[in-house]
Amino acid sequence: MSVAAVSAASIPSQPSPRELSRRRAIKRFRWSILAPLILLLAFVLMPVLFLQLYFSFHQWTVYLGSWSDAEYVGLDLFLEVLTDPRFGWAVVRSLAFATGSTIGCFLVGFALAYLMRRPFRGQAFYYTIFILPMLTVPVVVAYTAEMLLYQSGPLNDLISRITGIDFKPMWLTDPNIALPTVMLLEIWNWAPFSFIILLAGLAAIPSEPIEAAEILGASRWRVFWEVELPLLRPVIFLALVLRFLEAMAEFPKTWALLQGGPGTATETLPVYIFLTTWQYFEISKGAVMSYLVMLLMIVIVLFAIRLLRREKQALDTMYARQKAAG
Amino acid sequence: MRKSRRRRLTAIMRYVLLTAWAIVAFFPIFWMISTSFKPDTQWFAWPPVYFPHPPTLSNYLNVWFGAEEYAATQYAISSQKPLISLLNSTIIAGTATLLSVLFGAVMAYGVSRYRILSETRMFQLLMLRMIPPIVIVAPLSLYYSTLGLLDSMTGLILIYFLTSLPYAVWMTKSFIDEVPREIEQAAEILGASRWRTIFEIVLPLIRSGLVATFLFILILTWSEYLLALIITKTQVTTLPIELSKYQGSTEGRVYGRQAALAVGITIPLMIVGLIIRKHLARGFSFGMVRR
Amino acid sequence: MARIELVGLSKSFGNVVAVRDLSLTIEDGEFVVLVGPSGCGKTTTLRMIAGFVDASAGEIRIDGRVVNDLEPRDRGLGMVFQTHALFPHKTVMQNIEFGLRMKRVPAPERAQRVREVADMVHISHLLDQMPGQCSGGEAQRVALARTLVTQPSTFLLDEPLSSLDAKLRRELRAECDRLHQALKRTFIYVTHDQEEAMTLADRIVVMRAGEIVQVGTPMEIYSNPVNYFVADFFGSPSMNLLAGEIVQVDGTARFRATSFELDLPERFKAAESGAATLGIRPEHVGVTLGGKGDIELPVRLVEPLGRDTLLYFDAGTERAFVAVSEGLDMADVKVGVRMALSLDPRRLYLFDADGRRLAPP
Repeated sequence: MSVAAVSAASIPSQPSPRELSRRRAIKRFRWSILAPLILLLAFVLMPVLFLQLYFSFHQWTVYLGSWSDAEYVGLDLFLEVLTDPRFGWAVVRSLAFATGSTIGCFLVGFALAYLMRRPFRGQAFYYTIFILPMLTVPVVVAYTAEMLLYQSGPLNDLISRITGIDFKPMWLTDPNIALPTVMLLEIWNWAPFSFIILLAGLAAIPSEPIEAAEILGASRWRVFWEVELPLLRPVIFLALVLRFLEAMAEFPKTWALLQGGPGTATETLPVYIFLTTWQYFEISKGAVMSYLVMLLMIVIVLFAIRLLRREKQALDTMYARQKAAG
Repeated sequence: MRKSRRRRLTAIMRYVLLTAWAIVAFFPIFWMISTSFKPDTQWFAWPPVYFPHPPTLSNYLNVWFGAEEYAATQYAISSQKPLISLLNSTIIAGTATLLSVLFGAVMAYGVSRYRILSETRMFQLLMLRMIPPIVIVAPLSLYYSTLGLLDSMTGLILIYFLTSLPYAVWMTKSFIDEVPREIEQAAEILGASRWRTIFEIVLPLIRSGLVATFLFILILTWSEYLLALIITKTQVTTLPIELSKYQGSTEGRVYGRQAALAVGITIPLMIVGLIIRKHLARGFSFGMVRR
Repeated sequence: MARIELVGLSKSFGNVVAVRDLSLTIEDGEFVVLVGPSGCGKTTTLRMIAGFVDASAGEIRIDGRVVNDLEPRDRGLGMVFQTHALFPHKTVMQNIEFGLRMKRVPAPERAQRVREVADMVHISHLLDQMPGQCSGGEAQRVALARTLVTQPSTFLLDEPLSSLDAKLRRELRAECDRLHQALKRTFIYVTHDQEEAMTLADRIVVMRAGEIVQVGTPMEIYSNPVNYFVADFFGSPSMNLLAGEIVQVDGTARFRATSFELDLPERFKAAESGAATLGIRPEHVGVTLGGKGDIELPVRLVEPLGRDTLLYFDAGTERAFVAVSEGLDMADVKVGVRMALSLDPRRLYLFDADGRRLAPP
């Protein structure tokens, strides 16, 4: 208090030359570190986004000469895309696919993580097996799935033998169940991702509050609902958000395996954009769709950032004392 | 015996449920491996053949080594380039990952010690990676073609570098955060410059974390499909594309061959993944898990 | 009300035996302290009583009823943990009322009881705070309140003060004592700090390597240690323990150490010759400068503490021989000076080669 007052009086209002040069050095340092990122963004991302924007307003197909010959069409393309029912369906399918597979990944991942939260015999073995699906390349999943889900294939065979009924759905060729099938594939592929995150979150919950709750009379369910789940919130959100965003971008399973088929049953946004651009060669239309999708994703992403930041801050306040002391 | 009975029942339930999913998780992988050893008559026989009898290496020999004597079946494949694709994949994924980890670690140091990016910016960086690549692939390929980067390894490396950077920064940051500042201050007093401190002191201390990050990003870039599909044409192929070329260049359903190729793609990744399995949780936490 | 009996309790973790055949009866309303070095099994025993650890063998009875198979929540106990274990995502108020909510106590009554208890432990001003915002001492008080409000018959406390600094520790220790007097419930307290044991306990249970070494009042433990270990563990500064041997010379028993020899009091007359350890507490050693005493030793170090002065003497062993002198009279003694030490014969202890106490009076 009085010491500070004395020091404040004796500090000159100008920082010393040493301090100034130090600050300059730090500034140089910061910029030199950020340079690669800025360069990349400026010379790769920006031109690409600009080109995309250009095509959104200029009609062009590969049959025209250079891309600078494209004619200006104003908002016509936007109108065309926004009134295209196929686009609308693609949006719906993408959202359904992302939501369904995210929830599926979460439920499976959470169940597995919760079962494995305490050490037990064979835990390492199960952990290893459970992360394998995530390590398979998505394209490989696609082609292996084709082998497995063939109507007269091993999956149907196994299920028939186990259940005794003649179980022969056409997983990949029936338009009604094609999309759910791909969702199941996605869940198989990525449940380990949620599993790993949730398991880490569960392991990070301190055991003593749980014991305190138990001895205070809480049943197993109560302990879960009142203590474990709230402390897991940040991690749960993380698992859901990351998975959802990646599921919206999913491509190999829908394209390599089914090319969006049968018919358009699995035509999600990435597939439709791909088709438009590289099979129908409607570059501009593809550009508009890309921009709209990008805008949609940015909105979702901004929302996600806000959510995750809030959770992270809540986590930090909860353990503030510990952080300060430790 | 209420308590102990319940304990035992819970344990049994646990094993049942876990084993059930273990079977679900492993069965496709098992099928892939098993099919890769099947002679062509057993590829899609009905009822399905679970264990090839007799197992054969013909699929592997044909796919990976283009052995002539195995080409004389109706399922001979014209594309003989998997080994080259393997090389390409390794070079591209390896280089891109190396670059992203290097630059990412330095950036992470900047964020951790000098706050060159705020927390919001860090999340924005992460979300950058979450934008579906499909939305930029078209103009990217055009841009690349004007730059002459289309169908080149450099082009692919560049874009993989960009998309991997967010992960690299986030993952290495969590490791750097745990290095005590005092160590750097000690180096400073002894005369080390900032850059030297980073490369001689801090990074070596998080060696294992760097390796884990490297391997993790390697997995992602190795298995990437869409960007590779668009940017590569004839000169360059990565393994995932090679696999889809198989599908395209034949009447499909050469399951044994595809499986042999798939196994070759997947096994290295699995080995890598198993090596770093203890670090996976770390890499995925993004600040949401209290250490 | 709440009489706790431990009968033949054992616990092994794989090959490691944490608790071995432990039997103890704790009467209703007692303040019992389980004390011992780390790894002695005291925490394991407490957690077995609580129900978080299953006993490998033996019975735990509360009021005559065997509770081994009951879950912690059904045993009617309250527990305070070393790390306060508050729910970080709930306010202090929500933390405290948690147990009452589990018992479905209606809201108005809950609020009332929480307020009462908060007053009792002086944390009423913290009710809307989050645990992360409370200091260590405050957090521990909240933990106490959370248990108090459920009115258990028995309180289990697992080293509740270990994570606090010395001053806070003394404060909360007094708090615990006060609560025990006020509530008259059974307290089972685990600590490794002998001072806490001495000040708080009605009875002390000294444990080592999974077994009970001695049970008694603080007075008994202090004045009548049953062996070397107990004698050494209690007392600050700790008891002087000198290795040597008992020799019989002309019908009297003498104690021979490296740097001196001493006649042993009457009651040790029949002591067997052989290796032994002599024990005497520093406060029972009288020092005079240039006078006559039982033994004479050079000063190694002088520590003036204000109220007392500690004198360290060189007895030819690594561990110094310590004497306590009241006041600062001896504060100016120079190192190296030989002083006469007189040992109060009524306070001499002898331990045999196995550490057992010889010929207790």
